[in-house]
This record gives sequence, C-alpha cells and structure tokens, in this order.
Amino acid sequence: MNSRIKEHPILGKIEKGRRVTFSHDGNIIEGFEGEPISAALKAAGVMVHRHTQKYGAPRGIFCAIGRCTDCVMVVDGKPNIRTCITPLAEGMIVETQYGVSAKSTNKAEGMA
Amino acid sequence: MKRYDLIVVGAGPAGLSAAVEAAKYGLKVVVFDENANPGGQLFKQVHKFFGSKEHKAKIRGFRIGSQLLEEANNLGVEVVLNATVAGLFQDKEITVRIKDSIQHYKGDAILVATGAAENMVPFKGWTLPGVIGAGAAQTMMNLHGVVPGQKILMLGSGNVGLVVSYQLLQAGCEVVALVDAAPKIGGYGVHAAKLARTGVPFYLSHTIIKAEGTDCVTGVTIAEVDKTWKTIPGTAKSLAVDTICLAVGLSPMAQLLKMAGCIMEDNPKKGGQVPVCNAYGETSLRGVFVAGDVSGVEEASSAMIEGRIAGIAAAEYLGYIDKAVLTEVAEALESALSSLRQGMFAVENRGKNIEKTDEGYVVSQHLLKKGYFQDAEVEKYPGVTRQPGVHAVIECSQNIPCNPCQDACPRHCIKIGDKITSLPVVDETANCSGCGMCVAACSGQAIFLVNEGYEAGYASITIPYEFLPLPGEGDRGWALDRGGSKVCAAEVVKVQTAPVFDHTSLLTIKVPVAMAMKARFFKEDNCHA
Repeated sequence: MNSRIKEHPILGKIEKGRRVTFSHDGNIIEGFEGEPISAALKAAGVMVHRHTQKYGAPRGIFCAIGRCTDCVMVVDGKPNIRTCITPLAEGMIVETQYGVSAKSTNKAEGMA
Repeated sequence: MKRYDLIVVGAGPAGLSAAVEAAKYGLKVVVFDENANPGGQLFKQVHKFFGSKEHKAKIRGFRIGSQLLEEANNLGVEVVLNATVAGLFQDKEITVRIKDSIQHYKGDAILVATGAAENMVPFKGWTLPGVIGAGAAQTMMNLHGVVPGQKILMLGSGNVGLVVSYQLLQAGCEVVALVDAAPKIGGYGVHAAKLARTGVPFYLSHTIIKAEGTDCVTGVTIAEVDKTWKTIPGTAKSLAVDTICLAVGLSPMAQLLKMAGCIMEDNPKKGGQVPVCNAYGETSLRGVFVAGDVSGVEEASSAMIEGRIAGIAAAEYLGYIDKAVLTEVAEALESALSSLRQGMFAVENRGKNIEKTDEGYVVSQHLLKKGYFQDAEVEKYPGVTRQPGVHAVIECSQNIPCNPCQDACPRHCIKIGDKITSLPVVDETANCSGCGMCVAACSGQAIFLVNEGYEAGYASITIPYEFLPLPGEGDRGWALDRGGSKVCAAEVVKVQTAPVFDHTSLLTIKVPVAMAMKARFFKEDNCHA
C-alpha cells in the first residue's frame, strides 16, 4: 500500500524535505525531514500509535492538527508527543505508547 | 511584557484579513497562531471558491491564503507561529505558550479569530484507528501528500463532506459511500453532482452502526434510519472500507472569549456558543473583537470580510480613523457580506425544507437524495437549453451565492444579474464560441459545452476534469451519466489545459447524439490505458 501522493492534479508535485530514517518500535523506517511524524508513519502503513491506559484500546490519527491527542507516542524517550504536529527528524526513536509510557519501560518497572 | 496596538489570535482567513486591514491604517499588529503554518484551513482548500469577484470567487483556497500572507508581510504584520494563546483577560492581556514557556502580551485591542473545531459523532468502534475527521483527511492529503486510506466512507453530506470527498478522489482514493442520517443532502447540489457522476453512491437517511476491526478499521456497518432517526431493522449493510471520515459540522472555538468574560449566547444557527457582538464584531468587552467561525460558523469568504470589518473597527476604536471612515468602509463590506448570506443556504434557512428556487423552479428531490438530476428534470432549468451548434449547458439549480460564469463568458451568453444567488440563464440569442471559459470558471463544475451537430450522428460534450492521469486525445473509454453509470462508448477528441483554467482541464468527448444530454463524465477504458 502506497499512501504517498506522487502527483496531485491541482497541487502538482508535493514538496518534501530530505529523506531521513527513523526507528519505529525498533524498525527502521524512511520519511521526509520536517513532515509530521504521523505522516511518515502513515506512509509506512502504521495505524496504531498508542494503546489506552485502562482498556488497552488502539488509537491512531484522528484530528491531524494537534487538538485531540489521540496520536501521541513516545518520541526520543518523551511520552505524549503529538505526532501529527511534531516534525520528523533524522534518527528519531518513535515508540508505540501504552498508557503514558513505552511498553518496554512498563515491563522494566513491572507496571500493569 | 510586550505591547501592540492590535493582537490577533488565529492566522486563518479572518485573522489575517483583520491584521491586513488594521495594518493599512497604521496599527502595530501581531498575529499568534498555534499551528506551524499560517493560513488556517485555507492551505488545505484545493477547490475553487464560490462567490463573486470581490469575494475572490473561482480562486482556489490555498492561493487566497498565499495572497493574504503576502499582503500581511508587505504591511509589516508580525506573524508568530507555534504560539498557543492560552489565556485572554479583561484588560486585554494574553498569555501565550511558545515552546516550553508562557509569555505575556498586552494589546490595546484584541481580535479573536480562532475558528471552529470539528464535531464528532460516536458509534461502536469510533475510536479505532482509521476513523478520522474530514479535516484530518484534508490535512493529510493536501498539506502532507499522504492519503488517509484507500477505501473511504464519508459521514456527512454538508459542503465539508462533499468537498473533502471530491478531494479524496483527486488524491486517488475510492469513496465507497457518502452517508448522512438526514433525508436530504445538506451541501450544494453542484458539489454532490460532481461526486455522483464519478460513481460515488449516496446513502441518505442512513447512519453508521459500527466500525469493524480490531486494531484498525477494516469495514463499516451502516443502516437506514426512519423519520425519528431510529435504525430500521433488516436494513444493515456491511461495506469494506479502511477509513471512516466524519464531516458532521463545526463548533465555534470561543473558549478564550468566555474566559475573558464576554457575554455569550447559545445559538444553534451559529453552530453553538458564541460571543454576542455588534455589526463590527465588537464583543461586550470594548476593544475585544471577533471575526470568522468563532463568531458563528460560515465559510472562508465571509470570514475574510468579517475580518476586514473588525480590523477597520479596531482602527477606529484606537482612534486611527474617524467614525465616518469606519461607517463608509464597513457599509461597502457589509453589503458584500450580505450578498454572500442570501439564497437557500443562508443561515436563516438552515433546517428549512425549500421546495422552489426564488425564481419558482422546483428543486430536484432526486438531486437532494441521490446527488444528481433525473434526465427529464434537468432541462427545465434556465441554464439548460437545446441549440444548434456548440453552447453552454449549466446544470445549476439552487440559489447559491456565486456568479463567476457570468463574468467568464466573453460573448455574454450567461446572465445572472445583480442578485448573486439567481440561477444562471443561458441567453439563446447570444452566440457561444465554445471557448470553455465558463466551464473552467464554474466552481461547482456544473457547466458543460454540448454540440449536438459535432458530426453526423455524434455530439461532443466538454466536461471539466480535475483528475490524474489526464486522458489524451484519441483515448477511448466510457461516457458516464450523472449518476456515474456507463451509458455508451466515448472517445476523447480534445484536451485543453491553460493557465487561465487554473488546473481544470477541459475534456471534449464524442458520443452518439442521443447521449448529448445524458453523458457527463468520462472514464478511461483500462484495457486500453
């Protein structure tokens, strides 16, 4: 599945920054510098950004403009980062968020 | 604490217009916006706007955004981005979050143009990844060049739902269904018609029962609703989609005004809780103004005019101009604004069942339920005539504020008159040259050129076309009717693109003459492509 629009009938070629790599839950993914992290994840086919604290329900992009906070993830170790408005940078470490932290941290600290 | 003559909150169409107007009169203006890019929603609007020349009609939204920004920059307006205004206080002080700190500013006048937020509707599975706002779809595809999904269900048939559905098609997605619980399409018939002719099915009086999927959306169940909005047993149907878009209205984001102590009112016609304000947009707090969706949900064209009025009013409030100047300038702007607020989609007509146009033409119920006219209906409208030789066929049947077609025709074949909401009339005595300017100028893509005498037994039809790949001359395929069904084989005989058409290509297809008033879209035959 390719989610990137190659050429748009009205906008023409969509201008992007330089190609960068970042990691998502340990996998190396390519994206474009400066685009929202969520755009790069979407282009890579990632739908689930986090699981809720109480029910573990999956959440992803919802408003795409930084209002709803459904798309928050752990970015470079910092939780609750709104991926739809945070620009992607080379080498970023992006992790699925469980409750308010990355799963690996939960296990290490023995949290539920 | 920094001080400005005018602090504007929100760099969308209303905020920027206000800033530009105030700066023209010499005010020192700053605009704060929480987004990384200015322009509000304008830069996501790839369609041509309605209205008239003075409302920037037939210009695409994102270009209007660029023009406004350039004007603001030229006038020395300071635009601060990634700056969230978190507080507004009675003495016209604001607190702004910039990066990880809170900063404090004082304005002698304040203009709040924070716009509106999307409404949502909950159903089983609505929190699954793949259920998104229509605005999110627009942001992802038109700003970031990433489609939200491949197979989409759109909930909501207002103009946002219709326009975003069309944009999804332009981005290469399939719109599997357009669903609305209301019994009639809420947005402009012309927006619905351009979807219907590509084959998008409309499900009016339907609602979503549930989104299917465990980790993300893999399908959706919809069902018919009765007059009391209850689902009718046995009507449930499942559709394979990966994305559900919600376009179910907007609510003003008036929190800052409420916080400052402005007198508020609950006004469903304005979209919810809004500040009480006068004709210039001044709230119950002297020197605190509002413009755009925050004072009542409308659209960008009226937001820009409201912004300009409030910007001038702020200049008068601070003594930069006399009351007489304000009265004079505002009067002209208000008349432009009121022309946009007429017709069947005017605020006071919301929720009303309008059966006839101002001229007395019956409104097509088929258009309101299915998104397109029945063949017999279309010929009764004044824009639809049969003439020898090439001529414009204007399938415009509702009183909407829009008149670029009248100005577009160099031969004056099309008449709307002074009242911008009147239906366009094709003057049969004028001589159409077939230039196609009207086809490209119609923001609703409702104008076609028909020539029933193209060649023996064949007619030519020129249609507006805004998709990729653009078919080439000599390509063969299918002509689709207004409902998107294949009606006959068709050949592309001419493809015109020109800067003046602004990315609307004119595709001329040849069809058997009996199809001249039926065929309205072209689909390439994939076997040949």
